[in-house]
Amino acid sequence: MSRLPDAGNVSPSFTLMDLAEISCDFGQTFDHPAYLLFFVKKDCETCTLVAPVVEQIHQTLSAHGLKVLTISQSNKVDTQKFIKDTGLTTTILLDQNLYVSDDYGFDAVPTFVLTNETGTILKTFEGWSQNSFNELLEKSVKILNTKLTQFETSILVLPDWLPGCASRVHDPDTARRLAVRRGDERLAARRIRVPVKTEKDEFEFLFNRGLTDGLPVVPPTEKRVLKMLDGTSRPATDVVAHVPPNLSPVTVEKIAINAVMAGCRPEYIPVVIAAVEAVCTDTFNLHGVLATTYFVGPVIIVNGPIRHDINLNCGRNLFGQGTRANATIGRALQLIVRNIGGGKPGEVDMSTFGQPGKFTCCIGEFEERSCWDPLHVERGFKVKQNTVTVFAGEAPRAIRDQRSRSASSLATSLGLSLESVAHVKLHGMGEVLLVVSPEHNQTFARGGYTKDTLRERIQEVTSRPLSELLPDPNCEKGTPLSVLPREWKTSDNSVTEQALSQSFPKFLDSKDILITVAGGEAGKFSAVVGGWAAGGLGSSAVTREIQF
Amino acid sequence: MTDSLVILDPTDEQRPIVSRLAQRPSRLAGTLGIIDISKARGDIFCDELELLLAKQSTSVKIERFRKPTFTKPAADDFREEVAERCNAIIQALAD
Repeated sequence: MSRLPDAGNVSPSFTLMDLAEISCDFGQTFDHPAYLLFFVKKDCETCTLVAPVVEQIHQTLSAHGLKVLTISQSNKVDTQKFIKDTGLTTTILLDQNLYVSDDYGFDAVPTFVLTNETGTILKTFEGWSQNSFNELLEKSVKILNTKLTQFETSILVLPDWLPGCASRVHDPDTARRLAVRRGDERLAARRIRVPVKTEKDEFEFLFNRGLTDGLPVVPPTEKRVLKMLDGTSRPATDVVAHVPPNLSPVTVEKIAINAVMAGCRPEYIPVVIAAVEAVCTDTFNLHGVLATTYFVGPVIIVNGPIRHDINLNCGRNLFGQGTRANATIGRALQLIVRNIGGGKPGEVDMSTFGQPGKFTCCIGEFEERSCWDPLHVERGFKVKQNTVTVFAGEAPRAIRDQRSRSASSLATSLGLSLESVAHVKLHGMGEVLLVVSPEHNQTFARGGYTKDTLRERIQEVTSRPLSELLPDPNCEKGTPLSVLPREWKTSDNSVTEQALSQSFPKFLDSKDILITVAGGEAGKFSAVVGGWAAGGLGSSAVTREIQF
Repeated sequence: MTDSLVILDPTDEQRPIVSRLAQRPSRLAGTLGIIDISKARGDIFCDELELLLAKQSTSVKIERFRKPTFTKPAADDFREEVAERCNAIIQALAD
């Protein structure tokens, strides 16, 4: 949006070089009754068309005291070509670093700025407008105390209106450089000056101050963070969430800083923002997920068209290395938990083992290879909506079944394998994430198995008599009484005789078996990602829409 | 003047970002820096220390540094130079 000052304001002062590399000041002392600043760039058709009019003003009104300064955004060589093409004889100044153009804040060239003898602006306009020009001319002759006679002929050959060309300040990299110079108000974070003697120093600095996950991070310079902020329309000052364990507020700017460090591209930041929102809900219970001695971390599952827009991997080597979006989105979330929330190993993070997914874990559902509704549709969203689902998960574990040809057999296989999540005798568990490969999904498609049919079969196959699941002298681990139905328990906190013969499935509720389809198109395997403590005492998956 | 890079603070800014203490070496090795902070007769103390350490360990290389004044923190350049040249330091602090 244009920041060109209106009439009545003082025009910004500057010092620029002319083509002979002589310095010219404007705004320090005024020795003319009026000044016309004419901002141009080469390859601007409108600038070229209107330049002869400006030349005529210069020829006619200079004798009466008007000082015309043509300020070029192009380099010296291009400016000289522009001068040659247009025949301008005014003073020509070079604004190659575009600081003066940025200070005047116009969006387009040509831009006209008329000031009086004290630098107060009398008239400005961008592009070409007959009316605006007439007004400028009127004010000029008034202030110069003269009359107009010779202009009409040349003005008549110009249209009433011509569009300008974009000012060079809007070139993408230039815009960010100038924003940093201006002290872009989007950047409110504390600046840290890192002394750099060798090229490695800024990386060691970030390591030494405990700001990384153990791998090098991209130093979050102002320019990089501004570029990252271009990836979202949300204001940089928006508080997105309060991040456990410190419950520190995290703004869009802070998310952008950590996203830069993680190596994200700007188009990933809406996904990171949605993931932060999701994990910071009471339902997900990030504090618990972080502080537990168990080894779970947020697993991010992305649905919707955005997967393709950001080249998120949904297929081969799904949980592995190599794809920037997958690697950096999950990493950004973990850096935010660390740097903003204060969740660090050895402090609040008490996990016994941790797991590789605590570096990063972000996958896309392979919706196009699934015969089922995608995860986010099951969870109440439309197929074209972009969502993240966060799940407190262990590292993925393989389920190998390359033999089953029927859906029923495969479902049995998966169920039997799922019984070993956490512990074979631990039934009545909460959420689990089953990632079904495309080949396995085809088997279910051929057999007409829906997700619910699969869930029912898993529960059926894992159901065992309670007597086999309780602690015993051989194995003191067992299903806790707290998850059993009330009617199975006695008043003295034991189980009834009848309950001992009752079948009890692996998962407390079949709806807690989250199913997604992803992974390479070759390979008759599926993957299980075990969950943590159930429901209100633990963590439940949360799905959030991605906003841009 | 030291070259520097400006980055934005990625933390919640509740605390200043501080360096973590380097691990204390289990034995003297490499280059040991002795920093005289310019307190009165600190130079004599450091001289004696250097002699003792040289007798104790002939494999340790000793480098001497002197801060211009004890009233101000060490300048960035000074700290960087010490950090680059030494594996460990002894700083003479008190009177």
